[in-house]
Amino acid sequence: MALALPVLLSSCGSSATTTQEAAVSTPSVLVEDAWVRATTGAEDTTMTAAFMSLTNPGNTDIKLTSAASPVAGLVQLHEMAAKDGKMVMQEKPGGITVPATSHTHLSPGGDHVMLMGLKQALKPGDEVPLTLTFSDNTTHDLTVPVKSFTEEQEHYHPTTK
Amino acid sequence: MVGGVVALGKDGPAEAVGRGIEPYGVHQPGIAAASPRHAELVAFNLRHGVDKAALGRLMRLWTGDIVALANGRAAPGDTAPELVIGNVALTTTVGFGPRVFELTGEKPPGLDDLPVMKRDRLAPAWSGGDLLIMVGADDPVSVVHAVRRLVADAKPFATPTWRQTGFWNGTGSDGQPVTGRNLFGQVDGTGNPAVGTPEFDATVWSSDGPDWFRGGTTLVVRRIRLNLDTWDELTRSEQERAIGRKLSTGAPLTGAAEHDELDLEARDADGRPVIAENAHARLSHHSENDGRRIFRKGLNYVQDTGPARESGLIFLSHQADVAAQFLPLLARLDAADALNEWTTSIGSAVFALPPGFQPGTWLAQNLLA
Repeated sequence: MALALPVLLSSCGSSATTTQEAAVSTPSVLVEDAWVRATTGAEDTTMTAAFMSLTNPGNTDIKLTSAASPVAGLVQLHEMAAKDGKMVMQEKPGGITVPATSHTHLSPGGDHVMLMGLKQALKPGDEVPLTLTFSDNTTHDLTVPVKSFTEEQEHYHPTTK
Repeated sequence: MVGGVVALGKDGPAEAVGRGIEPYGVHQPGIAAASPRHAELVAFNLRHGVDKAALGRLMRLWTGDIVALANGRAAPGDTAPELVIGNVALTTTVGFGPRVFELTGEKPPGLDDLPVMKRDRLAPAWSGGDLLIMVGADDPVSVVHAVRRLVADAKPFATPTWRQTGFWNGTGSDGQPVTGRNLFGQVDGTGNPAVGTPEFDATVWSSDGPDWFRGGTTLVVRRIRLNLDTWDELTRSEQERAIGRKLSTGAPLTGAAEHDELDLEARDADGRPVIAENAHARLSHHSENDGRRIFRKGLNYVQDTGPARESGLIFLSHQADVAAQFLPLLARLDAADALNEWTTSIGSAVFALPPGFQPGTWLAQNLLA
């Protein structure tokens, strides 16, 4: 993990502004390749999730503690956990840790930022404002592209049936 | 722009090492880069109802993908991110077909589908298209995977209408860059203006079109079937006569080295031109075309159907203006080129390639925003 870090740090992400700002005030977290899943064609169009790569160049663990977006009524940090032999989605207590000199990937099937009570449909190519707050009291204002995603979405939109 | 290095060993053969090509720049970086070892071109037609705003959304998505892929990272939302590796000189080049400008206006001058030439045998399945992506890299797995992501992200907006896969060897056995050869065995692309010269810039980059297109270029894609069976029946001197160049080095028949100038006046002992009147190198030479030049690239292809193999060349030509620079040359070659006996154009498409983008901006933003 630590070996891969210099490569990650030297690369310039799609959220370039954020990355550059963060690089100046190290050791804050770098955010790269963020995206939000489109609701077009989804069974439940009131919720979706945001995914991204978080890199912590510093020597202290940092936690993503909260997120907010004007397109969603409620934003939570979620994890997937085994419950009664099934993977279920639940709020992650205390937030999502980005270990020192390492990185954390928020990805489908893993930790993610859950956007609930969506106020509008999210189409591929739309852009969603998203603010992340970390335990070191830094915040990141992102503009996150919406993408369609082919993997089945049962995990993130569990039905009560 | 090219971060690649070739290690020059003093005592041993030079060793090519991995390289990455920056996605940013005044121009899309794949254009002036050497022909990629492996490449795929995909043309798309826009879905019904896709307007200028929707096209802008697709360009924002593709820009994010292109940046991630060029840096050896998976595109956001990749379902198989392990297939992405860095340092494979991956480039993605994007183009717009003529019909796009019915949605946006501000069409670059001269950007129309080429008229069908007398000798053309164009198949609709290899022709036209509203959008183009061309992905090139040192490694075919990287190409195929990048294309898969770009096509997936385009799905709400556009549907592939043709795909062409090709390959090129632009590296000699000593590890140094070479022009490369088509499947006839000819050194192909010698007559190009050299990258970085004023001549190259004037040939390739648009300067007098609409503002948004400054720094852009156009691309002609022609799928040319090569009849290797009948070509192989010729003697080497017949083959060289058809081109006007030596097969061994690509040097003109009047010269000794590949980049020697053609002597179009030279005559043999019998008074016949050494470079024949219908030789490809003569007909395509800029001195015979009112100084009009193009920047030629190419990819070899093979297309297998069961045990049958078709071989050919994906002919790629960059020029600031298709109608002004390329079309007169095409008409001239179609009328007289000695090579026509062994070649058949079976596909044709033209695209405007927007200028490059910088961090914080996206492809064709000045056209679509």
